[in-house]
Amino acid sequence: MSLAELFHQETGPLTRELLRQPGRFGLGQVPADLRPDAVTDMVCGFCATGCGLRVHLQDGQAVNLTPTTDYPVNLGMACPKGWEALRVLDSPERAAVPLLRDAQGRQRPVDWDTALTQFVRRFQAIQQEHGPEAVAFLSTGQMVTEELAFLGALAKFGMGMRHGDGNTRQCMASAVTAYKESFGFDAPPYTYADLEESDVIVLVGSNLCIAHPILWERVMRNRHQPQIIVVDPRMTETAMNATLHVRPKPKSDLALFYGIARILIETGRVDREFIAASTRDFEAFAEFTAEFSEERVVEETGVDADVLHRMADMICPGQRVSFWWTMGVNQSHQGVRTAQALINLALMTGSIGRPGTGANSITGQCNAMGSRLFSNTTALPGGHDFRNPRHRQKIADILGIDVKRIPEDSGLPYHRILEEILRGRIRGLWVVCTNPAHSWINQMQCRDILDRLDFLVVQDMYHTTETARLAHLVLPAAGWGEKDGTFINSERRVGVVRQVRRAPGQALSDFRIFRLIAQRWGCADLFSSWTSPAAVFEILKRCTQGQPCDITGIGTYDDLEAAGGIQWPAPEASGRPERERRLYTDGRFFHDDRRARFVWARPEPLPERPGGRFPLLLMTGRGSAAQWHTQTRTRQSSVLRRLALRDSVVEVSPTDAAALNIATGDQIEVISQRGRVRARAVLTHAVRPGEVFMPMHDEGVNRLTYAAFDPHSSQPAYKACAVRIARMT
Amino acid sequence: MGASSHVSPSPLPPDSAVDSSGAPALPLLDELLHEQATLSAVEQFSRAYESGVPDQAKYYSRLLPSAPPQEGQQYAFAVDLDRCSGCKACVTACHSLNGLDDEETWRDVGLLIGGSVSAPVIQHVTTSCHHCLEPACASACPVDAYDKDPVTGIVRHRDDQCFGCQYCTLACPYDVPQYHAGKGIVRKCDMCRDRLAANEAPACVQACPHEAIAITVVDRQQVVEDAETDFFLPAAPDPQFTLPTTQYTTRRVFPRNTLPADYRSVSPQHPHWPLIIMLVLTQLSVGAFIVGLVLETRFDASLLNAFRRQHATTALIFGLLALGASTLHLGRPQYAFRAVIGLRHSWLSREIVAFGVFAAAAVLYALVCWMQPSGAVVRAAGWMVAVSGSLGIFCSVMIYVVTGRDLWRFGPTMVRFVLTAAVLGIATTWLSLLLFGLFVDAETAVRLSAEAGPILVRALLPAAGLKLLLEASVFRHLLFRRESPLKRSARLMAVPLSASTFARFSTGLLGGIVMPLFLWTELSAPSPRSLLITIIVSMLVLSCLAGELLARFQFFAACVAPRMPGRV
Repeated sequence: MSLAELFHQETGPLTRELLRQPGRFGLGQVPADLRPDAVTDMVCGFCATGCGLRVHLQDGQAVNLTPTTDYPVNLGMACPKGWEALRVLDSPERAAVPLLRDAQGRQRPVDWDTALTQFVRRFQAIQQEHGPEAVAFLSTGQMVTEELAFLGALAKFGMGMRHGDGNTRQCMASAVTAYKESFGFDAPPYTYADLEESDVIVLVGSNLCIAHPILWERVMRNRHQPQIIVVDPRMTETAMNATLHVRPKPKSDLALFYGIARILIETGRVDREFIAASTRDFEAFAEFTAEFSEERVVEETGVDADVLHRMADMICPGQRVSFWWTMGVNQSHQGVRTAQALINLALMTGSIGRPGTGANSITGQCNAMGSRLFSNTTALPGGHDFRNPRHRQKIADILGIDVKRIPEDSGLPYHRILEEILRGRIRGLWVVCTNPAHSWINQMQCRDILDRLDFLVVQDMYHTTETARLAHLVLPAAGWGEKDGTFINSERRVGVVRQVRRAPGQALSDFRIFRLIAQRWGCADLFSSWTSPAAVFEILKRCTQGQPCDITGIGTYDDLEAAGGIQWPAPEASGRPERERRLYTDGRFFHDDRRARFVWARPEPLPERPGGRFPLLLMTGRGSAAQWHTQTRTRQSSVLRRLALRDSVVEVSPTDAAALNIATGDQIEVISQRGRVRARAVLTHAVRPGEVFMPMHDEGVNRLTYAAFDPHSSQPAYKACAVRIARMT
Repeated sequence: MGASSHVSPSPLPPDSAVDSSGAPALPLLDELLHEQATLSAVEQFSRAYESGVPDQAKYYSRLLPSAPPQEGQQYAFAVDLDRCSGCKACVTACHSLNGLDDEETWRDVGLLIGGSVSAPVIQHVTTSCHHCLEPACASACPVDAYDKDPVTGIVRHRDDQCFGCQYCTLACPYDVPQYHAGKGIVRKCDMCRDRLAANEAPACVQACPHEAIAITVVDRQQVVEDAETDFFLPAAPDPQFTLPTTQYTTRRVFPRNTLPADYRSVSPQHPHWPLIIMLVLTQLSVGAFIVGLVLETRFDASLLNAFRRQHATTALIFGLLALGASTLHLGRPQYAFRAVIGLRHSWLSREIVAFGVFAAAAVLYALVCWMQPSGAVVRAAGWMVAVSGSLGIFCSVMIYVVTGRDLWRFGPTMVRFVLTAAVLGIATTWLSLLLFGLFVDAETAVRLSAEAGPILVRALLPAAGLKLLLEASVFRHLLFRRESPLKRSARLMAVPLSASTFARFSTGLLGGIVMPLFLWTELSAPSPRSLLITIIVSMLVLSCLAGELLARFQFFAACVAPRMPGRV
């Protein structure tokens, strides 16, 4: 180094650390030390948008990723969670060996052999003493289809369990029931391109900007200058972009949509031809809506009459109108009927089956739809009915098992399983890849219930989840990127994930854990052909034959990758499918008469109305795009932590805050009948007087929520309960 | 239901049947563990990329300018706020595509909130380096690690030139340069200059799902005019200071109460302990030398000859300690010599040079004192020390003044630093007297105390009192309704920093008021008790020093930096 360089150093080792070089593989420049020698495309494992991610490999190991440019879902973009998907795999909180609780109540590392022995002996002992139904399982929408199908089949057909449900109960159940009743099958009509094709986009209880940023990308790419109607009691990022922001009182939206339907019917703005050809029960529905007079709707929803009419004016036949909903609808005491109220609007205006239309449920988890179709919880694999003998026989034949092994009903839903634990009739529980001790409604009660179990097994990537900490046995699971399989996204697209990272320690993919358990349990002979995810994918394809979700025409994982994912239906010999397809283009639905149904019911009052000592209504929802559900994964990335909210917050209207002498930044308590949590007050007009909002990611929020359920879907109503707030004393 | 939030799980009763020794071998387990360690065979991806154009170019090409900047122009980020929905993909993309370290981010997304019940406002704002026309980071940098590209206007940081003084992190009003403790340097956004040069978009531009970020070419004159009319971003730091080039555009009209989500949140800032020690001790040393010179003018040389040596040595030791401490603040102290490079523009360079001269002069002066030459030589050397030291303190003041922070404005900062020099200069003189009496010449020490003591006490009382008043005066901002940086400083001192605030004012009162009054009383007594004086002086010196260190801690920790809107 010359003297001049000693004083003025242009370049050197520190500069080289940040060197960028052409990455090849169509990538543009990438960090030089992360330059890939190969790439592979796979689907993101967070939400149900199902973005394509191009994983950069060095010696077969994933070192970095970028969104896949040509994937038909995300068109080269990803949200922060997707960008950080590999980073969350490296964490000291990863479960690397099985943990068994000892006599002192401490979780101790044990080898797999001991773990499996305990698993089998404890569960079998419970079943021998209390009957096979005394052990149940909780599945997930976060595993690959092949795994959750294995779990459901192993538990119900191999281990003799009767009851098992998925965490999809918490996010999708209302949409599932709504679709089944209205269309005859759980078959969302849309493709994401509909967001780009619409003239009018109606978003209900859906903050796309934060919850589904990539779907907002598709809205922003709409070249038709769409009118955007956002129905949400709260001002959100999405509502900021609305042409019309309709702010009904929380959970009054059913009356709102019936009121809109009445206006459309009375003014003749309905598609009579479509109604006649493709639907049933319209006249009775029209009669029912007559009671939703303008006065009543204004009174019940708090929405001004002129806003009501503006909204009705925007939804008219001829325009391409699409209706989209998320958890603001599903997580309600009347979620099914609210979803169906939107379906009714789509049906009566003929807004279905054409580009830019549809009554479209946007899903939560990456494999919620895989779970709905294959988890063997509420339905037999391929969307078959437990109660239908033909369906049972068909599945038994495909799986090569005795039909007597298949239960004749679907067993209990999530909340009923917990009730049975409380009654002592279920005494063993196997929780796979979900975190009820954080996420279940009325959390204190849920934890109390889990604590009553004789044996709780939690199978998870992290040994630190709230539920894993309660477990008697923790089984260490490999995560996304550490295993092969498929996901099905919101728009019915089957996509592939690959094993591109080594799992820590002795962690095994859920699939491999199921194989071990099948062998130890003594039912391996039932699953002799379930040797790999690819082999199971072939079995599952056969299960869909002749169903609306027929995917017999899909080839191998490599074919899926090359095609950019394939939407169902994709029956055999249907030729190469188009990249973006919607359902019901022929106006024929899945009921036997091929007609869609109008389904409705009178609105029910809120199960827990604010008043008295608890005068405020607590709403919950997403906090930021950098946080996912109970944060077991997203909190492992330092970048995502920086982008999340700094701590627990509660949004309070300045009016309510002034009355209690609360200022922004104050630590306050939020108190319901069931519990209290501490949070930082954020004063904002985004919530109205009488309402407060808390992000659902905070562990404490579900201490407050009130355990009400939709009677048709059994989905918990997270979005409304009564609270009060108080300054910290 | 249970009252505690954590239900402790029941311990597992022993399972008598467990006998793992008799368990069958697990060939399947071994097979599965092996499978788990084997990565999917991914077929070599062999698509041809003959064009060399990245796939993403089809999206971002329209987000890049069609022609490079001409004379009088430069590149700038253009942010369409109507398209920034707060997803923050830009931050993660920048992180992944630039290979940043775990905790490091070069872009951030803040939030503005406001409006009314009927028209609430939520506006996310993506922000990064603004590649300013007059980058404060560059003018602050003592080693010229920054340069502004004459053609592109990109403000680039040369990582290998940086020696980690972190002065740029204080100077930038937008909190852009990020100090990386592990590497001992600062790093920052370079607008992905290599990518731009290859006609590729910066990472954030490539990755924004909503095309909210673009690269544009701006006229420098237009940037100046925009800054003059404060046309930058609501609630952002004053653009006149550095002339940021980022173009924020929106069709929305923000109500006047639109404020950053973190507007009222304050958190103590990094205290920079080596800087605290360096500042306080250099001021102590300079102050002590000057007090010594003042005594020279009042008292006979014969009285001072022996004492002068003692005092000069004491002051020198503190001065050298200070300079030693200052190097601890550097991330890469082995490159400290580079500090002279920025003399033309960096007050840090000037401070380092001035204190370098001061240190040399102080060593010379101390030697001269021991050699006992003529009074003229002593006085000349003494004045060299005083002048260079005072210049050093002036440079210290300017380092903080030019950051534009309210707590660090010229007047108050100058008064603070000068009064620190006065208080600690006098206290140190007492220390010298004490040591002189204990180890050298007790009789002369008693005479000096009797003659100079009252003067020293009479000077210390108002200096210490004034300083305490000045520091306490910031609390008046708590009475004002308007949120201002000084009110935030006051709130920081009142709440999160309350312990240090209490300690600062107690030590200040003890060392600057109570002990001097005791001393005065004792000196005025007919026969002063030497042991008591020793105790009082010790407490005075320690309290004053502790008080000034705590005051300087608050100077850093309670100084609220200007910032772009932050998160909730």
